[in-house]
Amino acid sequence: MNPTEAIPLLIVVLLLVSIGGGEVERMDVTFAGDHDVEAIDDVHVVAGGTTTVPSNASVAGDVYLIGGSIEVHGTVEGDLTVLAGNLTVGSAGTVTGTVEQYGGAVSIAEGATIDDLVQFDVPVASNTPARQAAALLLQFLALGLVGVVLVRRRPSLLENVGDAIVGHPLVSGVVGSLAAVTLLVLFVYMAFTIVLIPVSIVGLIAEGLIVVYGQVAIGYLVGHRLPIGRGDLATVAGIGVLVLFLEVLGVLPVIGAVVQLALVVVGFGAVVNTYFGLARFEPASIPSGASP
Amino acid sequence: MVAGYYYNITFVQLGLIDLGTRLVGMSETVVSMWMGALAVCTLLVALATGVAMDRRGWSTDLRTKLRILFGVVLLQFLLTLVAPTIRTTPAFGAWIVGASIGLGVGFPVSFSLAIDLVPVPDRGIVAAAITAIAYFGANAYPLEWSIDVFSGLMLAAMLPGLLILGAIASGRIDPIEGLLDELSGQYHEFGTGRFCRPTSVRTKSLAFAVPLVLMFGVFFVDSLGFLRIIDTPALLLSSWQSPELSTRLLIAGAHVAGAVMAGVIYVNFSLERIFLWTFALFALTHVIYTSDLRMAEFFPTLADPGSSPLNPMLYAVAVSFYTTLNFALWPDLATAETIGTHAAIGVGVAGWLATFSSTALALYFQAADLTLLSHLNVVQALSLLLVFGLAVGLYGRRMAAAAREGRPT
Repeated sequence: MNPTEAIPLLIVVLLLVSIGGGEVERMDVTFAGDHDVEAIDDVHVVAGGTTTVPSNASVAGDVYLIGGSIEVHGTVEGDLTVLAGNLTVGSAGTVTGTVEQYGGAVSIAEGATIDDLVQFDVPVASNTPARQAAALLLQFLALGLVGVVLVRRRPSLLENVGDAIVGHPLVSGVVGSLAAVTLLVLFVYMAFTIVLIPVSIVGLIAEGLIVVYGQVAIGYLVGHRLPIGRGDLATVAGIGVLVLFLEVLGVLPVIGAVVQLALVVVGFGAVVNTYFGLARFEPASIPSGASP
Repeated sequence: MVAGYYYNITFVQLGLIDLGTRLVGMSETVVSMWMGALAVCTLLVALATGVAMDRRGWSTDLRTKLRILFGVVLLQFLLTLVAPTIRTTPAFGAWIVGASIGLGVGFPVSFSLAIDLVPVPDRGIVAAAITAIAYFGANAYPLEWSIDVFSGLMLAAMLPGLLILGAIASGRIDPIEGLLDELSGQYHEFGTGRFCRPTSVRTKSLAFAVPLVLMFGVFFVDSLGFLRIIDTPALLLSSWQSPELSTRLLIAGAHVAGAVMAGVIYVNFSLERIFLWTFALFALTHVIYTSDLRMAEFFPTLADPGSSPLNPMLYAVAVSFYTTLNFALWPDLATAETIGTHAAIGVGVAGWLATFSSTALALYFQAADLTLLSHLNVVQALSLLLVFGLAVGLYGRRMAAAAREGRPT
């Protein structure tokens, strides 16, 4: 795990440390390599490589695992939190605090001593056809509801976004990809400042809503090409077709993902370029020919 | 244009450092001072050339421009040939003077070819293509940053161009003459730039000064940051000089993507919008660089090799953005009568003077033993200031317009 990949989980750790009253300034992070740890400075985070607490060592402080592995053969005088990666507590290993497992794998050998083991079962999405169908239905209902509300109350919004998608797909795609990526990077880095975490969360949710808006607009466009008279029904039907189409695309290995991504960024850009549908997108006009 | 720009970003910017430090034996500081001198000389020569082009009517004479260009390429060919043999400071200084004459005459002339060859609506896309090809070549092809390697490649690349330009300049080949007859009248149609309608942009006007200042800012910020980045092996070896082809290809691809995006935005949006995007991208890039350095300071293990190519990729997108803008902007802010002067002032002041000033400031930082983080912090502050300044300026302009509209008559 490189530092960039570790950032989201590091943010979680920073939050947990701050909430727990730990000293963030005294936190060490290991990203790669094999390390024997005999002492830690209040908090130690393992993000990669293998960190071992040797059998003769006793380390005082809290340990967080977000990637790589930890092997405890000695004593950890503190809590051990596992968000990702592999934790092994050997038969002679001791954790005087609580081992909390939110993710990753925990293996505790017989004879190991731990004060308490708390395992939070993160619901794992199973891929049964019924669950898939339910998720699809839920997605369709949510998008359909937004579509119906928009078509009934302010049809011009979807019309403007739709026109930008059909009339200017390249510009929409360029602006969409640029805006989506830069905003995503910006919000992730904002989160890392801790102070701006609320702004970051709001921003990421807003980005998600723009994606949803773009998809509703594409559904609206599809619906208006179907032989259905009523605008709201046509939109709902179009959204249904779009949701199914996206699902089918998901089955295709590379092309499917590329088309899905293209639809997302074009929709995103069209929403941004039309100021959320409030104005039609008119590209700049460049005069050509001899000057008068 | 692709060849000229490739020559500039590889041979001139990187090859000279190697020539000065390794072969002549000067310190990096002294070489940087010589490069600053190169920038100032180039600016002066360019201004003289640009003004002369417009006053003497060369700007609208395609054949004259091609002949001048032939002379420039011939001079650069000879300079490139002798560069690896230079061993003394006086010879290095003489080489710098020669190079600045070549560059100073060359770029106003080559930029002015836009009025003969590129229709106004196509300038954004053509500028994007030039940027994409030059940067892709410079990044993807694994060249060692040494004067010998650059010299060998440049000579091989320049020779066919020199022969073709020689054939064109000779005026003795009938099919070429026929083509030139056809092309030489196109400036009537293509000569008036996008921002010169209905009224042309005067040299002493805000419409010219504002883009000039903004471009100066972006060149300055880029150069100031990049000078320090390429001086930091940990950053350089995980990006532009990475031994991994995949990393270099990612950066080259980011340059191409950035150029295409800039081209599309240039064609479809106002000038303010592309400036805003450029500054926002630079600000974001430097925020990320400085954040990573702060994180590395906080967690020293972050300094491990194998860091993410995200930072140089974003940097590449930002650089491609403003380079594309630079290629399209000056012809679009000029008419056939002012292209020489405007290109010379635009590229000279924004490009060369900014490089000179940023080099001087970088040297001062070096003398003051400024840390990498502190150096990039200044760059980040400047880039954030540019975004903020532009946003406030645009808002203020709209406010003033609204006030004028609402004023009782």
